[in-house]
Amino acid sequence: MTTSTGEAIQFWVLGIVAVLGALGTVGMRKAVHSALCLAGTMIVLAVFYLAQGAYFLGIVQIVVYTGAVMMLFLFVVMLVGITAADSLKETIRGQRAAAVLCGIGFGILLIAGIANASLHRFTGLAQANAGGNVEGLARLVFTTYVWAFEITGALLITAAVGAMVLTHRERTERPATQREQSEARVREGRNVTPLPAPGVFARHNAVDVPGLLPDGTPSELTVNQTLRARGQVRDVGGEQERRVRKLEQRSDEYVEGVTEGEGAPEGGRDRSGDNDGANHAEGAAK
Amino acid sequence: MSATAAAVHSLWTTRALADTAATPAIPTPHIEYAQLSPVLIVFGAAVLGVLIEAFAPRAARYAGQLAVSVVGLAAAFAALVALAADGYAQGRSHVAAMGAVAVDGPALFLQGTIVLIALVATFTFAERRLDPVAHGNRVDSFAAQGSAVPGGEQEQKAVRAGFTTTEVFPLLLFAVAGMMIFPAADDLLTLFVSLEVFSLPLYLLCALARRRRLMSQEASVKYFLLGAFSSAILLFGIALLYGYAGTVSYGGIADVVDGTAKLTPALANTTGNDALLLIGGAMVVMGLLFKVAAVPFHMWTPDVYQGAPTPVTGFMAAAVKVAAFGALLRLLYVVLPGMRWDWRPVMWGVAIVTMVVGAIIAVTQTDVKRLLAYSSIAHAGFLLTGVIAVSPSGVSSVLFYLVAYSFVTLGGFAVVTLVRDAGGEATHLSKWAGLGRRSPLLAAVFAVFLLSFAGIPLTAGFSGKFAVFKAAAQGGAVPLVVVGVISSAIAAFFYIRVIVMMFFQEPQPQGPTVAIPSPLTSTAIALGVAVTLVLGVAPQYFLDLAGKAGVFVR
Amino acid sequence: MSFPLLTVTAVVPAAGAVVTAAVPAARRTAAKWTALAFALATLVLAAVVTARFSPGGARYQLTESHAWITAFGVRYELGVDGIAVVLVLLTAVLVPFVMLAGWHDADPLETSDRRWRPTQGFFALILLVEAMVVIAFESTDVFLFYVFFEAMLIPMYFLIGGFGDQAGAHGEDEQARQRSYAAVKFLLYNLVGGLVMLAAVIGLYAVTAHQLGAGTFSLPQILHDRANGTLTLSTTAERWIFLGFFFAFAVKAPLWPLHTWLPNAMGESTAPVAVLITAVVDKVGTFAMLRYCLQLFPAASKWATPVILVLAVIGIIYGALLAVGQRDIKRLIAYASISHFGFIILGIFAMTSQGQSGATLYMVNHGVSTAALLLVAGFLISRRGSRRIADFGGVQKVAPLLAGTFLVGGLATLSLPGLGPFVSEFLVLVGTFTRYPALGVIATLGIVLAALYVLVLYQRTMTGPVKAGIEGMKDLKVRELVVVAPLIALLLFLGVYPKPVTDVINPAVKDTLSDVHRTDPPPKVTVPAVAAAKENAK
Repeated sequence: MTTSTGEAIQFWVLGIVAVLGALGTVGMRKAVHSALCLAGTMIVLAVFYLAQGAYFLGIVQIVVYTGAVMMLFLFVVMLVGITAADSLKETIRGQRAAAVLCGIGFGILLIAGIANASLHRFTGLAQANAGGNVEGLARLVFTTYVWAFEITGALLITAAVGAMVLTHRERTERPATQREQSEARVREGRNVTPLPAPGVFARHNAVDVPGLLPDGTPSELTVNQTLRARGQVRDVGGEQERRVRKLEQRSDEYVEGVTEGEGAPEGGRDRSGDNDGANHAEGAAK
Repeated sequence: MSATAAAVHSLWTTRALADTAATPAIPTPHIEYAQLSPVLIVFGAAVLGVLIEAFAPRAARYAGQLAVSVVGLAAAFAALVALAADGYAQGRSHVAAMGAVAVDGPALFLQGTIVLIALVATFTFAERRLDPVAHGNRVDSFAAQGSAVPGGEQEQKAVRAGFTTTEVFPLLLFAVAGMMIFPAADDLLTLFVSLEVFSLPLYLLCALARRRRLMSQEASVKYFLLGAFSSAILLFGIALLYGYAGTVSYGGIADVVDGTAKLTPALANTTGNDALLLIGGAMVVMGLLFKVAAVPFHMWTPDVYQGAPTPVTGFMAAAVKVAAFGALLRLLYVVLPGMRWDWRPVMWGVAIVTMVVGAIIAVTQTDVKRLLAYSSIAHAGFLLTGVIAVSPSGVSSVLFYLVAYSFVTLGGFAVVTLVRDAGGEATHLSKWAGLGRRSPLLAAVFAVFLLSFAGIPLTAGFSGKFAVFKAAAQGGAVPLVVVGVISSAIAAFFYIRVIVMMFFQEPQPQGPTVAIPSPLTSTAIALGVAVTLVLGVAPQYFLDLAGKAGVFVR
Repeated sequence: MSFPLLTVTAVVPAAGAVVTAAVPAARRTAAKWTALAFALATLVLAAVVTARFSPGGARYQLTESHAWITAFGVRYELGVDGIAVVLVLLTAVLVPFVMLAGWHDADPLETSDRRWRPTQGFFALILLVEAMVVIAFESTDVFLFYVFFEAMLIPMYFLIGGFGDQAGAHGEDEQARQRSYAAVKFLLYNLVGGLVMLAAVIGLYAVTAHQLGAGTFSLPQILHDRANGTLTLSTTAERWIFLGFFFAFAVKAPLWPLHTWLPNAMGESTAPVAVLITAVVDKVGTFAMLRYCLQLFPAASKWATPVILVLAVIGIIYGALLAVGQRDIKRLIAYASISHFGFIILGIFAMTSQGQSGATLYMVNHGVSTAALLLVAGFLISRRGSRRIADFGGVQKVAPLLAGTFLVGGLATLSLPGLGPFVSEFLVLVGTFTRYPALGVIATLGIVLAALYVLVLYQRTMTGPVKAGIEGMKDLKVRELVVVAPLIALLLFLGVYPKPVTDVINPAVKDTLSDVHRTDPPPKVTVPAVAAAKENAK
């Protein structure tokens, strides 16, 4: 069998996508983008597998790698967030350029070498898939390569143990019960009530937007501690303060204009009431 | 066109329509459990260790893990001896587990070596008398809690609570099992999987130092990244070799290389494509050279050796070298002997560069662990000269050298764990000045190890070096021997420098103290000294053993 | 098989080393006596070996042979010929004197640290060196010889670096630095030499393994197989292997220009250790040239002879010239030794029976005379606390015995007739002259220079007005006399009646020469003429 034109076109188009995806995985600055690029590359690889008759592998590639592993990875990245940026400073001068050069050189060498191999035809696919692709794989995995398959189990156990060792933090003391926590709060005398909710009425209800105190400053208490530690709080307090000040200025001008002109239709109103939270909301609504 | 379509759709359609009875039954694989028992015992012990971690109370884990590890390894060694006594090392050697694992002399010899190394390493892992008692708990060389941020509050809490990472024992056992399969692997797939099986635990172990944790984690990441890279190269090479030979089994590829294989029509087109063979073989060898830390694939060695907890470094330096050289020998002697005119010049170059670079860079080192790392690189070069011989004496000399080298290395790193100051191990060489005055015995022991590394007669290092050089000279590689001798001289310079420091310099007033070890570490060191002297003075028995174990099964 | 006498001769000092090292830290004197007892026991054994050796008998006598490392074709083979017997005896004779002379050299300054046991270490190391040297002389297996040739560097290294002379010209730190430098230089030179030899040893193995089916290092067997033609070395291989061996021995001996470690090592170490270096350990180098280079590689030896002879003569003149210019007593003796080693090597490679007999005899005489001179110099230096010649003057007025023995040692060094070295130097020169007259004449210049440096040294240190710091100098103590007197007696004896020694040596030399397929050339110049030339040179 030789490669058909369709497959060739498919290969060259998707090949470029795969390589770009791989480069993107390494080059993107944000972890989410990297992960998406990787997912793209994996899907392309899956298409390659399918095109070459490795149906099971292609499907597994999509279902397990792209579907499960990569999506799980994305979830982790999005939920936990990876904010610590790698230091991209070169410690040895010219190292990066040298590395790129060497990489390109090695790549060219490899490509040239493999291209020299006279592989104009491919064979053996029909025999391999003769009894069905899955059956053929199963036969190999459970007979010839059963030992390799079994010791892969050790790899999985090691991976699980390793993940636990490197990430699981066992508590050093008993966690405080709810009762103890509430008692502690009362004893300390602060935040006796539940914590105030985040968000600003009628404008935001996102958890990363702090609620505002009456003077327009954001309240730390309203935002989840984790987000605060990570510096992911969206601060709208400054804008609010500006708006309040503008409102006060306008109302001052208005009041002045009224007293100069027709007296005071709303004269009985106390100016100090402006500091009320409701007014802020009003101002914000305007 | 319709025919192809039918073939394509056979996956979904024809299977459903076909009579299930028509499908030939898949034969049950035949696995010789008795012959694989050493590996299986170690795996079993490792799994038991994981279960202990999961279910045993914290206080009981240390003793339990230690017992399981020691008993497991001892049982595995007993099983190996039983196999060898049954003649599997010579007459009855064959390929087990459906062609995946060879049970032959080199495999059993190397597995035995690895198991013994692991046993000694277990002792050093379990050492708890070196660090001062922290909050009433004796502590070992491993982080109280690997997940705690270095220097953070959680870490202090974990130390106060007396946590220890007893997971290191099952991890060690998994690594050992992988290493036992690695030199015995008889197909490339098993080779790759076992490479991963022993590498992954090592990456983890590297990250678990109690002191200087950031350095330890950096070492781990570095090792992991470069290791993953080399694994990828190895895998690529395997794919190309498969493309060349149509099989991943060692014997099968060797047959194709020799031209004795029956050419199936399926392979008629690809086979004989030397480009695939050359590139594939080169890449597989590269992957293995990375593991043996040969120049130019050595860059990770000093950093990882320095950063990893010292007991782990000792284990890695000894056992990985044994496993990887075993695999390299089998690959070159079983799979690619027909290609020796192609790979020998390359290996010549690698061996020369490895010896010379390892020795020269070592001269400038100021840290004991880095020094030993470069020395291990130089030793990889010496070992390669034995590999190049392509003769039975080449195999046996490398086997012998590995035994001699590994126990001395373990002992050497065990000594490094003993010399401590307030910040943990005092690895900077300047701190070792005058050690011979403060504790003559320890300094003398370390001097013995260094002399063995330098290859002074009457030590194991000399016997080993003589064996590999002799094999190389008989294989016609006399220039290589000369280069080896010259780099030995360079290497001797920096070993001697350390001895000079220890004995002829005045001790510093703020110098390190020497911790009094428990019998665990003492055993490791004593064994190192014993091996050094026995293999130096009366190596005959072990040379015979290595000589008898020098035939690969195919 | 009879009693393993040779093994025991080597094992006794080795066991002595272990026992001495095990003596508790506080019992220093006990350690010294223990060590001395073992050294004397070794001397007795060496004497027995000499007595049991029959000069007219088999080439290698008292042989022992056991399998050692069969995988390498290595056997534990011992056996002595006349040359080896004499040198074993020399070693055994010198070591007790070395110990007595260095009786207080390794006493620790402060005894606060109870684990620090320099005295035990010093005497144990001396015994260890003795054991290794003895076995190197006795071995007839190349590998066995190599092992101890190389291994003896380590105890020597510790002796040089660990127990330096307290009387250097500089401060304490500078001295320690110098000492450590000297020790490292000694070790590196010899280690490099040894490793080059290792390559050659491996080459020899490869050749024998290739031709005989199984590699062997046994000297008798190789000689036998070469004689009957089963083993033939190609010219190239023989030359390369020869060069590897010779390089190591030339470093050890030392031959110019590989000699530079010797002045450092001898200058910085204590006088007894310096004796050990130059009178005992270095002899292994010249001995090995005679035994291994010439016997194993006769053709290559002949090929290299012109170059080696020229180097030896350069060494004679160069060493003597530099000795004249030295300001440091011990370095002066070191350069004098280099000159003398030139004579020994000249005698060996002249390939005449007189030359080689003379060279062997020279090894003995040089050992005794240098020991006498160096040890007396050591007493002198330890009294003054300085090694500089300029610090001495008029000693003979204050300490006549000291000056007298120093003079005898010096005269022996310049080969005064009537003292041992004269006979050997004469034989070497005669042996050289019969084949290489020109070189013989140049070498004779070395004697003139020897007279110059010895007499100038004596004049500057012993005669003239008594210098400051010399006034209260005590004369030789009983212990010191016990050391010096027998050595001087020995020098006189060897000078007047060397026949017992030459009788033992000559058959071995004949065998060696027949291995090299050389016979003495017919005399061209009559012997009286040489003697006359020698007298004129004086």
